[in-house]
Amino acid sequence: MASVLPTHLGDGPFAVATQALNKRFGRDTALAGVDLQVPEGAVYVLVGPNGAGKTTTLRTLLDLVRADSGTAEVFGMNPRTNGPSVRAQVGYVPERHDWGYGWMRVGRLLEHHATYFPTWDRDYAERLARAFDLRLDRKFGKLSKGQARRVQLAMALAHRPRLLILDEPTDGLDPVMRDETLGLLVEHITETPTTVLISTHLVHEVDRLADHLGVMRDGKLTAQLRRDELHRMLRRYRADVPEGWSGVPGLNGTVVRRSGIGREIQWSVWGEEAEVTRHLVSAGATVRDAAPLTLEDAAIALLSRKD
Amino acid sequence: MLLAINTADARPIYVQIMDEVRRGLVLGTLKPEDALPSVRQLAADLRVNPNTVAQAYRELEREGVVYVRRGQGTFITDASTNGTERRALARGVAERALVDAHRNGIGADELVDAIREVADTHTKGDS
Repeated sequence: MASVLPTHLGDGPFAVATQALNKRFGRDTALAGVDLQVPEGAVYVLVGPNGAGKTTTLRTLLDLVRADSGTAEVFGMNPRTNGPSVRAQVGYVPERHDWGYGWMRVGRLLEHHATYFPTWDRDYAERLARAFDLRLDRKFGKLSKGQARRVQLAMALAHRPRLLILDEPTDGLDPVMRDETLGLLVEHITETPTTVLISTHLVHEVDRLADHLGVMRDGKLTAQLRRDELHRMLRRYRADVPEGWSGVPGLNGTVVRRSGIGREIQWSVWGEEAEVTRHLVSAGATVRDAAPLTLEDAAIALLSRKD
Repeated sequence: MLLAINTADARPIYVQIMDEVRRGLVLGTLKPEDALPSVRQLAADLRVNPNTVAQAYRELEREGVVYVRRGQGTFITDASTNGTERRALARGVAERALVDAHRNGIGADELVDAIREVADTHTKGDS
């Protein structure tokens, strides 16, 4: 179906902008023309199933992966030619927990990490270490998944970067620590102007933070939009339909998800509510309800869309 | 004042924050010249994007419910006791009930009758 979903955000300024990123690993296509646009100051959530290309996209921004073609810009700099400058401005939590120097003790690892970042905030690092309950005398490689995650989060935040790139940041955290982490993240972005790019498949966790959404499938960004636009334009319609109902020609290509029982249909449709309702009514349906979707429901609807 | 928001609610979060402030006014837990928590404080407490809190405060200010004292914070205005908030809150509740009724194939009159009936039963039960 010809997509009606927006895939570009229009005008910047963008903290991150990529154009037509392509990447293959052997015979697998990881990225197929990705135009990622993260406005400055946004909390951008990138969702998609495993293997959709989220991690590869994020790694490209740090020059940890090189695209076969296409360009990437982080604050106007090309990570490929300006890798160190880009990385100095980015706090990064990688997908993997076993990253880095497993033999170092956590305290030493933080010291080591600090030397790379002139903006490292010692007091803040100590505050984070306390908040995350970090065991400074333990070897990083011996930590549990959740403990390692917390160390990585402290390392990403403590130099107060302009951009945070968080790849499944709450992976491995227990519910209490997850909640506290989100609290620390909110405090962080209120104190320090920061652009945040989060990849996750746990959308409900970042529901209260996100203001932009990117939906990735099979190496493509199938939707990229502001959250208020998402809630305004994507709605779930419940309607009674007549016997022998054959659908709504006027809505071709805009129905993101269909379900229903008997003569009641429940469709998630992209479009202005008045217009969608008009189409449904003129096809003989009685519209009972048109409601915005929660961020998670919207993400699921967009991800399960059949092309 | 305790603000509660719910991400499963179809209302946008900034609207929920606005409604919570209105609820505080109607219940009397918020009074004129009371200070609202700072954007930063409320955002951190609710784990909400600070811009969302700022948006809610801006809208409340536009509606004359709160005002900003430079460098001091956001405060409830004197004008917000006159029943306007009560009416706005009641309308919100009514609207949500109507939508729910409509989804169930129930008309407005039927809904109003049902509310009366249920309210009567409750009053009797209380005595």
